[in-house]
Amino acid sequence: MSIPKLQTGIVAFDLISEGGLPMGRTTLLAGSSGSAKTLFAAQFLAMGILKFNQNGVFVTFEEQVEDIRNDLKGFGWDIDLWESEGKWTFIDASPKEEDVITIGEFDLSAFRIRLERAIAKNNAQRVVIDSIGSIFTHFPEHNIIRQEMSKVTMTLRRVKATALITTERTEEYGAISRYGVEEFLADNVMILRNVLTNERRRRTIEILKFRGSNHVKGESPFTIVPMQAVVIVPISAMKLTQQASGQRVSSGVRELDQMCGGGFFKGSIVLVSGATGAGKTLLASNFINGAKESQERCLLLAFEESREQIFRNAKGWGQDLGQLEADGLLKVVSTYPEVCSLEDHLINIQELVKEFKPDRIALDSISALTRNPSEKGFQEFVVALTNFLKHDGVTTMLTATTHMLTGGASITEGDIATITDTIILLRYVELTGEMQRSITVLKMRGSRHDASIRQILINEEGMQIGQPITGISGLLSNTPIVA
Amino acid sequence: MTNYWIQLFINRNSTTSVGAEENLNAILKKYYPGDYQLEIIDIQEHPDKAEEAGILAIPTLIRKWPQPEVRLIGALTVQTRVLTGLGIANVDHLQRQ
Repeated sequence: MSIPKLQTGIVAFDLISEGGLPMGRTTLLAGSSGSAKTLFAAQFLAMGILKFNQNGVFVTFEEQVEDIRNDLKGFGWDIDLWESEGKWTFIDASPKEEDVITIGEFDLSAFRIRLERAIAKNNAQRVVIDSIGSIFTHFPEHNIIRQEMSKVTMTLRRVKATALITTERTEEYGAISRYGVEEFLADNVMILRNVLTNERRRRTIEILKFRGSNHVKGESPFTIVPMQAVVIVPISAMKLTQQASGQRVSSGVRELDQMCGGGFFKGSIVLVSGATGAGKTLLASNFINGAKESQERCLLLAFEESREQIFRNAKGWGQDLGQLEADGLLKVVSTYPEVCSLEDHLINIQELVKEFKPDRIALDSISALTRNPSEKGFQEFVVALTNFLKHDGVTTMLTATTHMLTGGASITEGDIATITDTIILLRYVELTGEMQRSITVLKMRGSRHDASIRQILINEEGMQIGQPITGISGLLSNTPIVA
Repeated sequence: MTNYWIQLFINRNSTTSVGAEENLNAILKKYYPGDYQLEIIDIQEHPDKAEEAGILAIPTLIRKWPQPEVRLIGALTVQTRVLTGLGIANVDHLQRQ
């Protein structure tokens, strides 16, 4: 029989743990310094209070109670209030100034009695001990401590508390913890990591094991957000269950709609690939302007240009985005990719979508976001983002920049091409002595499409799609040849 | 008026606690007859007091007076170390023996 789980209330965690923490058991939470162990543990208690009306006991062996209270205020948790209501109880076992001298044998029965009493007093269901490593530094007699802490876990088991015990690690990929506490806390182990990759910190959580119960394997990235604390990005727990809509929406360019067999599918992901200046931003701008007729709401996420630049350029193409914004149909968010990690970008976008509820999103450009992360992080980001947007039925246009002027695939495309529904290529073609722009629909999932390569003209009315360019080959490779 | 005020937190269920009480009594009687006030607190009966004093380990001895407070943990098996810890390792006392 599988062990029942206690929903933590930390949303994505309940997903990756397939229900929460093993109920009535103790879970070891290991992590290097600065890996957000204390925060995660505190969040476990806070969510219990806020969402399930379950009381908690927080034992601190390390940080001073006053510091913890202050640190947690930043997440909107009023510990003082909860303490006065009997929902949150501190057991202060943090180091004090006076010297402690050990002479002969001792046990930690006083601690056990205090803990049990605190649990019983407010009928607490959740217990945090932060951190077990610190108690080893208080007392040099490690054998006694190991034995005594093992008794503590037995006490917790007896009173049926669902507990988190934190412990330090010295390396991100190495022994689970110092002092070998996993010897008696081996049933349920989780690891928080804070790894430096490409000059960026990447936080992940991994459930190493939950004895007798299922969970998602491997690391899931997470980030720390003000007022929300730990937010996990549950890549590996996502399901491919999005609805596929047959409804078409306009791309904003009439001829392109025709090429796609009647427009993009609502809720689909469209990738626009092209070299710099090939018309990607213009197409994105058309895509947004195209929402005007159907009164759809649009969100433009710009990672390369400022709001002012975008508006000015659009004006040159006869599109009044400022008016759309004034009408409340458009929201433009312009940020540098470097300001935060990809996980943070993801969370921010999700927040924006929840708040603004757009029908379509243009992201210009997704290539700009590859400037900071590791390759794996980027893939995870794109998968999580598109999954989220599809789930919400948002039609999305992503633009990607190719390195070669005439063609060639970029890293971005290789990573994300398979999860997009439609791919549009914008390419320069050298044709009878001049550079021409061209457009072609490479892929259109679930629909017939026009596979010809067509000329594009950019004038004061925006993008105009002309006749098919015939008689050339090698367009997708670097060197188009007129046959 | 006594010069020493000492609290000893014990747990009657544990043998180390009983040992600590005996050891401490022997030391105090020998070196400070009549000069101390000893308060034995059983944490099973008075968990509040253990809470208040922030006791984790048992047995814990607290020298409340004279200030500053001193804490000793364990069965107090080594007499000289207990005396040093309590700050009553008076050379005269030791020489008189």
